[in-house]
Amino acid sequence: MDFELDNEQRLILESVEKILADCAGPARAIELQREGAYDGELETALRASGFDRLAENPAPRWLETALVAIAIARAAGVTAFTAGRFVVPGATAGDFPFGDAVVALVDAQRPGPVRYATAADVAVVLDADRVRCFDLGPGAVRPVRSNYGFPIGVIDLASAREMPEIKIHAGDLRRYWRLGLVLETVGAMSGALDNTVAYLKERRQFGRPLGSFQAVQHRLAECAIAVEGSRWLALEAAHGGAPAEASAVAASFAIEAAERVFADTHQLSGAIGFTHEHDLHVWSMRLQALRLELGGLSAHSREVARLRWGFA
Amino acid sequence: MEFDWTPADAEHRERVRAFLAETLPADWESISKGGPGSDAQAAFSRDFCASLAERGWLTAHWPSEFGGRDAPAWWHSILGEELWAIGEPRGPQYMNVNWIGPAIMRFGDAEQKARYLPPIAAGQQLWCQGFSEPDAGSDLAALRTRATLDGDAYVVLGTKIWTSYANHAEHCFLLVRTDPDSKRQRGISVLLVPMDLPGISVREIPSVVGDRYFHEVHFESVRVPSSCLLGPEHRGWDVVLYALQYERVGAARYARAARTLDRLAELAQERGQASDPLVAEKLGRARALCEAARILTYRVIDERAKQRPPSSLTQIARVAGTRADAAIGALSLEIMGTEGLEYGSFADANFRLSMTAGVAVGATEVQLNLIAARFLELPRD
Repeated sequence: MDFELDNEQRLILESVEKILADCAGPARAIELQREGAYDGELETALRASGFDRLAENPAPRWLETALVAIAIARAAGVTAFTAGRFVVPGATAGDFPFGDAVVALVDAQRPGPVRYATAADVAVVLDADRVRCFDLGPGAVRPVRSNYGFPIGVIDLASAREMPEIKIHAGDLRRYWRLGLVLETVGAMSGALDNTVAYLKERRQFGRPLGSFQAVQHRLAECAIAVEGSRWLALEAAHGGAPAEASAVAASFAIEAAERVFADTHQLSGAIGFTHEHDLHVWSMRLQALRLELGGLSAHSREVARLRWGFA
Repeated sequence: MEFDWTPADAEHRERVRAFLAETLPADWESISKGGPGSDAQAAFSRDFCASLAERGWLTAHWPSEFGGRDAPAWWHSILGEELWAIGEPRGPQYMNVNWIGPAIMRFGDAEQKARYLPPIAAGQQLWCQGFSEPDAGSDLAALRTRATLDGDAYVVLGTKIWTSYANHAEHCFLLVRTDPDSKRQRGISVLLVPMDLPGISVREIPSVVGDRYFHEVHFESVRVPSSCLLGPEHRGWDVVLYALQYERVGAARYARAARTLDRLAELAQERGQASDPLVAEKLGRARALCEAARILTYRVIDERAKQRPPSSLTQIARVAGTRADAAIGALSLEIMGTEGLEYGSFADANFRLSMTAGVAVGATEVQLNLIAARFLELPRD
């Protein structure tokens, strides 16, 4: 057991943080959000660094990839890194079957708009017991306006070309997707909580900083426990290669945490927290989108019970 | 970062499990039902800890000069996890090895170390903790029990309450005010008090938690030899802070909660709830709470193993643990229904043990204050 970054991990994260400081952050996210746009520049910068291929064969590095995924989400990066650089390689034991293509993950059992579909070259569709992959040609995606922090769109699979040559196991895709979801949630929760804590240290009402009121402090402390618990469950699961039960456990805890962090950061930030001039929404609104994926808290928790005790 | 156990750690866990499988008696389940402070468990702990000590495991993490084996800090937490998971056969003695011993090692003089540590390391002594008072609960620094130096003894006058294990203990780790003019943290001292001194009386405080769980310990002008003073006079608060850092994550309550939850899931299935999605969801969420408490506790042990100064991660782990404990206690009753209302039934025993989680070892609200101040660095109230 060792909870501290080793030297190489520290160097990787420092380099990635530098890229994110230049290319990402809330201001950039707000600018892209206005057009529902994708951050191709950030993706290019990550590709140039090589850190988008940490999960590649022959020695895929899931923990380091997870650390990068959390950092990107913390910087509100508008890139489908987690899907294409963590989840798909995870489900294919370190393959990058789509090369540098942008990947959208589709849950066939839950129809509706899909995150990053508007920028995606490929859709990976998870059904109950099989996975199908589609090459998304022009016209296969209809963009949808959304306030939830991600570019989203509706995919028409009928007008996309299936890629039968690519085989992905449904169970493997599901466990890595679940864990990827947690990584993005951890980054977004950290961003929302850090933003709120910083604001409440400064914001004065009743002649003192709002963050000095015990009623406020206890709620923020509870949020911190929720975020830290999610973070370490996620990293432990990533280190182990996303075991199904550990990934479901992390998802159950993190998605429950996300509900709390969303509610409390907004409540404590007051009216300015809803506005575009304040950055909170960049992270918080994403939590709502992440909360719904793969069936949400109930599905993650039931998966824990199924795997651990054999519940239906 | 590394989340795998070393082969030596994994081996140690296996050894502990094998030892438990062959050592625990057939009726252990019923001995352990009343919790670490019950008569049955306190009595059992004397034999059990002695056999742990024989193998060198009771205090393996202590330095060899004090009867330990210089084992990695992780070994002690592995032992604690395995023992709490089955209901803590060390009984009250988990406190001795978690924090009373380490506090004596850190602050005691040579004579005190020689007097107190060997019986603890041999698993032969029970201690209790004289902290709370009628007017000093969460606000521990408000304590008023007086100790006045008179020749070669302190004369102790006052009352401690909510004291667990006082009815079995040979010694009390007692907080007193040695400077009557002092306020708050200044002027407090620690005395290591033999419980058989004249003038000490122990009375049970009946409670819904269970029989002989809480006690009042009254000190009626008890003459305590001045050689029992631990650390500098009036500076006992430093000792308390040191001890509390260990105590707050010393008991692996999450391991006990996880074990209870496994049993509860089995019982739910036996009761025909195996296909009830709501029951499955609640059990799954509770499992996630246990796991979060586990990993956050490991985070603290890692700090300790590296001998970093204690940080507010301790409080984070502590609150996560109490949440898991409370949730599983409540869920036990919910799943077992009115059967759980019967005293001593599975759900009842677990619920009652879980009730104190947010209060024992400092109220959750105090922990949250510390997280706000130290981890989030929010301004003072």
